[in-house]
Amino acid sequence: MSTQMDNVSAESRSLWGDAWRRLRKNRLALWCLVVVVIYTVTAFYGEVQYRYYQFKDEQPSYQRPDLDSQYLAPSLTRVLKGEDRAGRSVVKELLRHPCGTDGLGRDVLARLVQGTRIAFLVGIVTSIIAIPIGVILGCLAGYFGGKVDDFIVWLYTTMASIPGLLFILAIAMVVGQGLLGVYLGIGLTTWVGLCRLIRGEVIKHKSSTYVTAARALGLGHARIIFRHILPNVFHIVIVTFTIRFPQAISTEVFLSFLGIGVQGEPSWGIMISNSRLRLWQGVWWEMTFVTIAIFLVVLAFNLLGDALRDALDPRLREAG
Amino acid sequence: MFDVPETAMKNPIIEVKNLGLHFGPASRPVRAVDGVSFSIDEGETVALVGESGCGKSVTALSLAKLVSGSSRYVSGSVMYDGKDVLQMEESELRWLRGNEISFVFQEPGMSLNPVFRVGSQIAEAIRLHRKGVDVHDEVLRLLQLVGIPAPEKRMRSYPHEMSGGMQQRVMIAMALACQPRLLVADEPTTALDVTIQAQILELLSELQKQLGMAILLITHNLGLVADVAHSVNVMYAGRIVERGPSRELLRNPEHPYTHGLLAAVPRLTGSVGRLKSIDGSVPHLAQLPSGCKFHPRCPKRKPDCEGVEPELRESGENRAVRCYYPVKQGQHEER
Ligand SMILES: Nc1ncnc2c1ncn2[C@@H]1O[C@H](COP(=O)(O)OP(=O)(O)O)[C@@H](O)[C@H]1O
Ligand SMILES: [Mg+2]
Repeated sequence: MSTQMDNVSAESRSLWGDAWRRLRKNRLALWCLVVVVIYTVTAFYGEVQYRYYQFKDEQPSYQRPDLDSQYLAPSLTRVLKGEDRAGRSVVKELLRHPCGTDGLGRDVLARLVQGTRIAFLVGIVTSIIAIPIGVILGCLAGYFGGKVDDFIVWLYTTMASIPGLLFILAIAMVVGQGLLGVYLGIGLTTWVGLCRLIRGEVIKHKSSTYVTAARALGLGHARIIFRHILPNVFHIVIVTFTIRFPQAISTEVFLSFLGIGVQGEPSWGIMISNSRLRLWQGVWWEMTFVTIAIFLVVLAFNLLGDALRDALDPRLREAG
Repeated sequence: MFDVPETAMKNPIIEVKNLGLHFGPASRPVRAVDGVSFSIDEGETVALVGESGCGKSVTALSLAKLVSGSSRYVSGSVMYDGKDVLQMEESELRWLRGNEISFVFQEPGMSLNPVFRVGSQIAEAIRLHRKGVDVHDEVLRLLQLVGIPAPEKRMRSYPHEMSGGMQQRVMIAMALACQPRLLVADEPTTALDVTIQAQILELLSELQKQLGMAILLITHNLGLVADVAHSVNVMYAGRIVERGPSRELLRNPEHPYTHGLLAAVPRLTGSVGRLKSIDGSVPHLAQLPSGCKFHPRCPKRKPDCEGVEPELRESGENRAVRCYYPVKQGQHEER
C-alpha cells in the first residue's frame, strides 16, 4: 500500500510531456528543431510578404527585374574583392543583396524566402491530402479486416506499383501545370507507406484487451477506431509527417526543375533550373545557396523524425 | 470474511442454452465451446472453473457476443430478457454491453487504454449510457465505491502510474459505471498478488451486496470460489463436466476432474504437502479424444470411457455430473 500512496504524490505526467522530456535529452534533435523552427518562421514571413504584394496588386520585389544589378555576387565576396561600393558604407553594402542577385538582378535571398514558402506549402498541403487518406484507410483495413482489408491492400499495392512520377505527370496533365498539380500529384501518391504502417499497427492493437474492454462497454466501431486505437498509433503519424515533409519538398524541387511544377514563382526547383545556365561562367551563388537551403531542411527534418520516433514510442514510457 | 446469502432470488437474468462455438476452418474446427448450458439468477454469483484453455473466456464473452476472430456459433442461444443475444443487432448489443452486462478482465494493466487518464476512461463509460448526471461527481463516487484512496488525485493518473490492484479497482469502477445487472469477472485476480487477490474478491462480494447485481466469476482456482460463489460450473475442453451449489460441490466433488482441480489448490492451513497437479494437459480442441474428453488423464478411467461420451446427468438436488463413474459421497480419499 505504501508504494501506491507514494505514487499519488508524484504529479501525473502527460503523454506529450513525457515525450518532450525524452526529446530534450537529445541535443542533435534540439538543434534540428531549432532549424525547423527557423525555416517555419521564414516560410511564414514569405507568405505574409506574398499576401502583401497580392493585396497591393503590384509586382513583388523578388520578381521585379533590376537590370542595373544583374549577376551581383554575394555581398561578402564583393566587399572582400574590394568592388566599387558607390559611396555606401561597408555595413550597408553587406546588407545589399547578401546572397547576390540573379540574371535579372533579383535578390537571391528574397527568392530563397519565397522558395521556402512554396516548399512548406507543398509539404503541408500534400500532408493534409496524404495523411488522412493513409490514416483512415489504414485504420479501416486493420480494424475490419476481411473484404475491406483485401480491397485497401489491393488499392495501395496498385498505387505503389505505378511509378510516382508518372502518376504526378498524369495528374499535371489533367489539372494543368502549377501548384495544384503538384499538391494533388504528391498528395495522392504518398499515402501508401503510412497506410501500410497504420494498418499493421491497428491489427496489433485490435486484439489487445483494452479494445475488447472498450467493446464490452458498448462503444461503437468508429469511436473505438478513432478515439481508442488511433491515439495509440498517433506517434506513427507524427514521425511519418516529419519524414515525408522533406520528401515532398524534394519532389516539388524536382518537378519544378523539370518544368512541370510551379510556374512563374520562385520555387527552389525553378531557381536551380535558372541558375544552372550561368553556373559555368562563375555565377555560383544562386545554385549554392539554394542547395544549402534544401540540404539543411531535409537533413533537419530527417534527423528530427528519427529522434521523434524514439521519443514518442509509447513502449518506451517509463512506469511510475 | 465473506458471507454468502443462502437464498438468492430465483429469477434467471441470463440463460445459456446448448452453446456451441467453433474457431478456424469448418473442415478442422477448434471446438472451443460445445453444448454448454447454464443460467445466472438475479443477484447470484456463479463460478465458471477450469484449467486454462477450457473455453471459459469465450463462453463469458459470448454472453454479450464479444468473441472476435474467426469464430462461428454452431448451436445454442444466450437468452437475455427473452431475447437471444446471439441474434441481436449491433445497436442492441451496444445497449446490452456496459449497460446491462459489463466485464472485468484478467490483465487490468492491459484493459485500460494506456494513453488516457483513468478518470476520463470512467467518464466515457458514464457518458455512453447515462444522460444528465454530473460526470465528474459520478467518477469520484465510483472511485470511492471501489475503495481507491485520494480519488480526486487518482482520476488524473495514467494507468501505468498505478499498481495492478488499483488498476483492477478502476476496471471495476468502469464496469459498474452504468449499474449493470450482470458483472462478468474473467479471472479478475489471476494477475495480482495473493493479498491483493483477497481484497479484490472481497470488494466484489461487498459491491454485490450493495448493488445487488449478479456476478459470473471465472477462475482456474477452485479454492477461490468457496467463499464467494453460490453455484459452480466446472468446465473441461469446452464442456461443463460438473455443476452444483458451491459448498456441496467442494465438499463432495463427483467428477474426477473436479477432484484434480481441488487437489491443485494451494492451502494455507493443514498439512504441508506437495501440490498435486493433474497429469497431462488439456487436449487440443481441434483433436479431442473419443468418449469422455477427460479419460486420457483420468485416474479412474475404465475401458468404456473411451466409447460414447457421457451425458451431463442429474446426480442430486441441483447437481449434475458428466461421468460414468462419479465418485460417490464419502468415497473420495481423505486429503
Ligand atoms: N480469437 C481466437 N481465435 C482462435 N481461437 C481462439 C480464440 N480465442 C480462443 N480460442 C480458442 O478457444 C480455446 C478456449 O480459449 P479461452 O476461452 O480463452 O480459454 P480459457 O479462458 O478457459 O483459458 C483456446 O484453446 C483457443 O484455442
Ligand atoms: Mg481465459
